[in-house]
Amino acid sequence: MAQYFVKLRYYPGDALQEINEGDLKSLAQKFGVQISYEKTENRQMKEGLLMENTLDKRIEDISQEVITVSGDREGKFSNCIRALYKKYRCPRTVYSLLGSNEAGEKVAKGLMDTYGGW
Amino acid sequence: MMKVLALNGSFRKNGNTEILLKQALMGAESEGAQVEILRLTDYKIGPCRGCGLCLFRENVCQVKDDDVSFIFSKVDECDGLILGSPCYFLELTAVIKQLIDRCWILGHQISRNKKPATAIIPYATRGWIPYISVQSNLLLNLMGLTKINETAICTQGISEVVLDQEAMDLAYRIGKEIAVAILEKDLTYKGEKGVCPSCHDWLVRILKDRETIECPTCGVRGKLSMVGGKIRVKFEKKACADNRFRPEVLYNHYTYHIAPSKDYFLRTKEERKSKSKKYQEYLPG
Repeated sequence: MAQYFVKLRYYPGDALQEINEGDLKSLAQKFGVQISYEKTENRQMKEGLLMENTLDKRIEDISQEVITVSGDREGKFSNCIRALYKKYRCPRTVYSLLGSNEAGEKVAKGLMDTYGGW
Repeated sequence: MMKVLALNGSFRKNGNTEILLKQALMGAESEGAQVEILRLTDYKIGPCRGCGLCLFRENVCQVKDDDVSFIFSKVDECDGLILGSPCYFLELTAVIKQLIDRCWILGHQISRNKKPATAIIPYATRGWIPYISVQSNLLLNLMGLTKINETAICTQGISEVVLDQEAMDLAYRIGKEIAVAILEKDLTYKGEKGVCPSCHDWLVRILKDRETIECPTCGVRGKLSMVGGKIRVKFEKKACADNRFRPEVLYNHYTYHIAPSKDYFLRTKEERKSKSKKYQEYLPG
């Protein structure tokens, strides 16, 4: 397993622009890290809104887009996270890094104030 | 008959805030409105207990021994609202904030933004009111209202505002304006437009990247630049559409940022219990 491993969980409305897999591939190449992308969609249109009951669901099972980044060199990993935040802004919640390893989470958290608002 | 409600955030009876609100209500009445005023400090408004039950379980506030549900029922009954509060120190009074904190129960309801509201804020010293719009926007938006105007009026001693005919005329016009907005179902913003196209405030917050700015109230993002020696504030159209008070955005906030925290809370139960034990034992309250 890579030394730095992070899952960035974006819930509906969190990313400032549509997450594009082509862009993620380019970032992975540019920074020499591995990036994967997974989308879960459970919303249904009701009363004119895309709605979902999330109250008693597992965090991993609700609608979200997860960008997983892993790498062994802190500088490159950190620069990639920075670029992702700059593009999409950082994820919003205390559980939005769930599933990351400690080293990856530390880097990802450390950059949140700068690109996520404060 | 249309109903216009005034909420007064001032403790003082017949002080400047109350006088201005009553003057506005007279204006609304002149357009055929039935009017009512509530002085918030006459009611018991307890602090939010942060229990989360309104969000996670019953959709009912667990604080039963105060008057907040009565106040919210009055807001629900009215067709338009005028908020008044003095500004003592940079922002509105504590009772307004206390009421804001109790709005959890309202914030996730989706039938919103159908009624007009306005705010009248008397203050004493120029330059001491930077955050008034943040609070008025927060309270009015969370109560499901659309702010169509806001007026800050410079006045100081008790009831001195009656000496300022221009201010009194303005308050009257604001009251008429609310009634007309109700009659014409017109929720367009009629006040002075600030830099934020969503809430019309003049505040911007600089993000730590030193490239991006945000409207602290709406959360919309943009850029600053200098054009011809003037500061230019530009918010992207898409960002404005995502301001935090839009029903879809509030719905997502409750659905994805708050409700799933129950799962996280339950998963971390044992670790939380063991790590927080020493704080329960230290200086027990």
